[in-house]
Parts: sequence; C-alpha cells; structure tokens
Amino acid sequence: MSILTSGIKSSTAMAYRSSKRIWRNLSLMGRTATVILIILAVMALFAPQLTWHPPDASSGPALAPPGNTHLLGTDDLGYDLWSMICFGARISLLVGLGTALLAGLGGAFLGIAAAFRGGWLERIIMRLVDITIVLPDLPVMIILAAFFGPSVRNIIIVLVLFSWAGPARLIRSQALMLKEQPYIKMAAHYGGNFFYLLKRHFFPELLPLLTVSMIRLAGMAVITEASLSFLGLGDPTSRSWGLIINHAVSFSGIYFTPFWKWWLLYPWLFLTLLVVSLALVGRETERLADPRL
Amino acid sequence: MNRYTPVWLFIVFLIFFLLCGCAEAPGEIESEMREEGELLTVRLPGGDWGFPTPFAHYARGPGVSHMRYIFDSLLEKDENGLIPWLAEDYEILDEGTRYLFYLQPDVHWHDGTALTADDVTFSFNYYREHLPVWIDDPLILSDDYLLSVESKAESTVEFVLAAPNATFLEKAGRLPIIPAHIWSEIERPDEFNDPEALTGSGPYILNNYSKEHGTYRYAANQQYWGPQPRIDILEFIPVSDEVLTLENGDIHFARVPADLLERFTDNPLYEIMEQPAFWGYRIRFNMVGLPEFQQKELRQAFALAINREELVEKIARGQGIPGSMGMLSPDHRWFNHNLPAYEYDSGKATEILSSLETPARESYELLVGEDAEVRIGELLKEQLARAGINLTVAPADLKTRDSRIIEGNYELVLVGHGLWGTDPDYLRQRYSEETEDWLNGTPGYNNSAFSKLAEKQVREMDEEKRREIIMEMQEILADDVPDIPLYLRVTVNIYRRDIYDGWIHIYDHHEPTHNKLSYLER
Repeated sequence: MSILTSGIKSSTAMAYRSSKRIWRNLSLMGRTATVILIILAVMALFAPQLTWHPPDASSGPALAPPGNTHLLGTDDLGYDLWSMICFGARISLLVGLGTALLAGLGGAFLGIAAAFRGGWLERIIMRLVDITIVLPDLPVMIILAAFFGPSVRNIIIVLVLFSWAGPARLIRSQALMLKEQPYIKMAAHYGGNFFYLLKRHFFPELLPLLTVSMIRLAGMAVITEASLSFLGLGDPTSRSWGLIINHAVSFSGIYFTPFWKWWLLYPWLFLTLLVVSLALVGRETERLADPRL
Repeated sequence: MNRYTPVWLFIVFLIFFLLCGCAEAPGEIESEMREEGELLTVRLPGGDWGFPTPFAHYARGPGVSHMRYIFDSLLEKDENGLIPWLAEDYEILDEGTRYLFYLQPDVHWHDGTALTADDVTFSFNYYREHLPVWIDDPLILSDDYLLSVESKAESTVEFVLAAPNATFLEKAGRLPIIPAHIWSEIERPDEFNDPEALTGSGPYILNNYSKEHGTYRYAANQQYWGPQPRIDILEFIPVSDEVLTLENGDIHFARVPADLLERFTDNPLYEIMEQPAFWGYRIRFNMVGLPEFQQKELRQAFALAINREELVEKIARGQGIPGSMGMLSPDHRWFNHNLPAYEYDSGKATEILSSLETPARESYELLVGEDAEVRIGELLKEQLARAGINLTVAPADLKTRDSRIIEGNYELVLVGHGLWGTDPDYLRQRYSEETEDWLNGTPGYNNSAFSKLAEKQVREMDEEKRREIIMEMQEILADDVPDIPLYLRVTVNIYRRDIYDGWIHIYDHHEPTHNKLSYLER
C-alpha cells in the first residue's frame, strides 16, 4: 500500500516537475494558448455545471441579444448560445482529439512498421501514403461525408482516413534513421521483436515529433469538422460550432440584422480561439521538441 | 521571427476588422425615369429551370412559368378564376361530357404561321403519346376518358369525354398548345432543343438562354394577338442575395425576409406585396408500417401536441399562417372556416395518448429534408416531448427524403410543397380510395364517406353544389387528421414601383412572377 502511494506520489511529483519545466520554457504566446486550451477543455468537461439552460431546448425568446439570462444571447429557436457553445466544445474537442489520436498513433504505427520491416510492406504502405496525399482531401471528404451519412463518428472516420498519411510519412523517415542506431540494432540482435522495439525504443524516441504532428492534426480536424458542418454535411441535429455557424449563415439576410453580432460572432470567436491556440501550442512543442528551430 | 510579431499581427488584424465596420454605406439609388422610346427592361432573380418547351423544362413552378411565357393555352387564370384565352369562348354540353372551344381569330405562331383548330387537336393527341412535364392528371388524356378531340371548323375544337369531370376545364384548358407544323415530325420531344422548338404563340420570345449561368432573356412578341406585353425585355439573372441585389438596383423584384422589411417601408421606390399562403409543410404518417397510426385519436393527439403558432413565429419569423386540419390553405377560395381549430394543448394530447386502444410507441423517427426542415424537426421534437412523445429527427438530403417517401420507408415524414391553392380535387387524389401510391396518395388511410364525397364532387358540374361538397370533405379530414398541415408560408415580395408595377396574384398561385398576366396590359 505504502509503496503504491509513494509511487503515485513520486510520479505526480515528476509530472508536476516536468510540466513546470515545460511551462518555464514556453513563450508568452505559448502560455496564453495553453491557458485558452485549458479553459476550452474545462468548458467542454464541465458544460452541465457551467450552463443553466439546456443546449437542445428553447429557453427564452428567439434571437434575444446577450444579457443576464442569456449570457451570449439566443438563436432563432430560442436556444441559449452559451449552452450550445459549451456543449459544442465537446464535439469540437472530441473530433480534434479523436482524429489526432487515431490518425497520429495509427499513422505512426504504420510508418514505423514500414521503416522497420521494409520490403513489400513498406512499398504498399508508402504507395497508400502517396495516394492519400495526392487526393484533394476536402472534395473527397465532402463526397464521403455525403455517402456515409452525417454523424460525428463518421466525420472522425473520414478525417482519420485522410490524415494518417502525414504522420506516417514523417515518422517513417525518422524511424529509418533510428533503425540504424547501434543500440536499436543491438536490441534487435539480442532478440527484441518488433513490438518490444516499438514500445521501448521507437515510440518514446519519436513521441515529441508525433505530438507536434498530432496537435496539427487536431487543429485541422476541428476546422474540417466545422467546414463540413458549415457546408451542411455534418450531423444536422448535433450542436457543433460549425453547425451553429451554418444555421446562422443560412438565416436569410442575417448580415442586415443585428443578430449576427451574437449568433454568428461567438461561435466563430470560440472556433478561432481553439484553432489558433492549437496552432500556437503546436509551434511551441515543435520548438521544444527540436531545439535547432 | 520577433517574439512580439504575433502581437503586432493581432493588432493589425483587429484594426482591419474595425475599419471594415466603418465602410461607407451604399448610396441611395435614385428613381430611374425612362426616356421616350427607350425599351423597358425588367430583371428578375434567375436560376436554371430547364429549356422552356412543354417537354424539357423542370417540373417545378418557375420551370412551368418560363414555358408559359412562350406558349399559350386555351384558358388562362386571373385573380378570380379561369378566363378565356386562346379560346375566346367555350360551351359545356351533354351534362359535361362534350366541350366546344371557339378559338380567337387571327392568332399566329412566332414564325408567322396561323394557329388553327388543327394545332389544338394535334397538341392533345401528341400529349397522349408524349406526356408534357407538367400535367395535373394524366388520366384526362387517356383513351378511356378522352374519347375524341376533333376540329369541327377552322376555329372550333370538340372534346368528347366518357364521364363528366368538374376539373376538366382547368386541367385541359391549361395545357400549352404547340404548333403541329414543328412538332409533328418529332419523335423524342424531351431531346428536341432546336431554336424552333421555342415557337409558341405567347407574349414573349426567348432570345437567350444559358443553362450554365441560369439566365434567360425574353423579348416582347410585338405581333401578340392578345393584351400587349408591357415589358419589352424580361431578363432573369443569377442572384446570390436577393435583398442586396435589389438594393443595388440590379433586379427589380425580390423575396424579402421578415426581419429586413423595415429597410423598405416608407421608401417611395419600393412596393411591398404579400403573397397568398399556398406553399406549406405537412407531416405524414406511415399508416401501413405502423398500424397504430390508423387510429384517428393518435393522429389527433399529434395535432394537439404540435404548437403550429410557435412554428410560424420561430421558423417563418411570423411570415406564415398555421395550417388547418381540413387540409386546404386558409387562403383557399373554398376554405371551410368552421373547422375544429386544434389549438395547442399538450395536456389533452397526453390524455388521449393514455387512453388509446393500441398504445403509441415510446419513440418515433421523423424524416426531414434539409436546412429549415431540420429546424422544424428540432422544434417538433421539443413540442412533442412535452406531450410524452419522443421523436428522433432523421435528416436526409431532399432526393433521399423523396425517394424514401416513394418507397413508403418512413415512420413520420415532413414535406414542404406548393399548390395548396389549386383545385381541391387534389384532396380526392390524396385521401380517397385505397392506394399504393406513396407520393400522391395516403396508403393505409381509408374513409368511405370521404371517398364517396370525393367521387361526387368531381362529377358535380354545378360550382355552388361542388363547393358545398368540398366543405363537407374538409370537415371529415379535420376530424380524421390523415396528415398534419403545419404552416403555410406567407412570402413577402418587394418590387421597384418606378420600374414596373403590373404584378398581380392569380387566384390559386402564390408567385406573381409566374403568371403571364403580370406582364400584360390589363
């Protein structure tokens, strides 16, 4: 028992120390971006506690401007925008995180496998990478989204199908270099199999690089989900930010009315904040991961 | 990169946006006075509606209207009803089984050839072989029903029918007449798109059409036999934002959303015109797949649980009227005003739901189309939940939605369409007889009293008596609730009064630009 608690204590302390070290190395923009991301994550996680109106039922007059009862106003059905934005953050973050993890880890696995095994496996994987990179992604995604039918899960699948190639190629080139390192050759020589090497050497070594590429993917995924929703290809009954923007923009003549000042502006602002923060954090981690930059 | 660069970029960005807000407001457009002898050009919002022959236009309202600028029919419609057109007079003989149409003298096709009774008989016989795109009821052309069409003299045409039909005059009278000397050789009329295919006898001649751009340009037919065209050049141009284009003076007629009307009131340049409510949404039940929907009490409970006023307020922004369970639009000339109102009452709906013989399911799927329909679905979900009915909204694109209707593959479906103001014989086609036709009929719904009345009205040639039967039919429908009409749109149009002010509504259609009388001397 005491060993376990002390273990947890020491690992917490280690995590605290390393995050403190990272924090100290971040620039001002990086810190701001991190704080914004944390705030958005808190908004998503604690959406039920942070809002006092339901996100999917009308709770006031239609198109009420921001005020005391409705912090950010309401949309045309009288749904509270603050609630929709908080709950919508869940979708945006889920899509971002889901795509980044699946495409990043999956792509990295394929990249390492290609580098390590070589031969026909490498040729197949690399040709698939070439094809995926050459295909214009947004048009094909529009077709796939229309074909599979709109739902958050399908959007993640479509995004993953199109974004694994980047990390796969990047990781493969690094893994090729790594493979030639004497200690890895030695480990392989002593009988370490592929999965052992993957776990003990490749992943830990390549993790910083992978993180950078995953953060980029997350930003791209959030934007693409919003674009697909905006184009009417997202799940129309979900409450994602892109969809709020879609509803606002399809309200005829919105720019002639004052409604855009809350209905369109706030979801746009949060979306921009999320994507810009992700980009900045991505840049910072890139700098930290590769000090030469 | 300097560490402060992002901050500077942000500031520049901010200033840019603030300055955008200070952009100069567009200048006021002045009234345009025409010089003597200058041609009057009117521009309307365009879009591609097909090659405007009776066989190649798209099967939607604007497509038909383009075709009708070029082709005339025996009868036309004005504000009050059918009026003589190519036929200057007609007679109904033998208790409604024989019709004689007397044609206008001196009518010529655009190429100068005279229009005769033979062209009329040719048109009808040609339509028997090749149906035109737009026909209310193809049965009126069948050999079993239309026994013969013959020209009796140079300008008299005789139709002999198997049985009287109160709607024959409208259905046959509105079919376009096409020139025999051009079409008699044509085997595939839908593929015939030579310029001569556009030879009609109507008030306008098409001299430019671009499918890609969705533009049409018509010139007035100077030799028109009837009331003279008032507009010399009629242009349809593609428009992305009607209000903006109207304000810039690029188009002269637009549809304006409720929240923007204020911009145009008190401006002497513009006239505001409200359309009659002949375009609406209704909910249909699948009474075959879900037999519980055959209980009218359940359908009534749905009707009570839906707040139609709220739909008008929120979705249509007040530009609409709640539907009546009698199915005809409240703006219809034969609308029955004494029907149960089905005021929103979720308590009563819950009460009915708990006392049903076959209880309703826990949850139903509502199939909807795109955009506004999804919003309607969301609002309905919220309203029905208050009465204890759970709804899942299943959005689909319009084509998928329509094909699922045709297959009967839905539980509840929301559809929006026009023609709520036309001859009420559509009630017969939609609700009487047992039918397998999911698109035009209501499989699973059967009320013999209604079917009897529906058959009676179509044979009743006395208009007043027929009107009474239609009133009774609405009473039955209002009690049975085979569908739930949600609301009918009341679109508001704004036009440039200084350019052209001849727009009118015919008695059964909502869009003033669709009828040719809007363009002619009155």
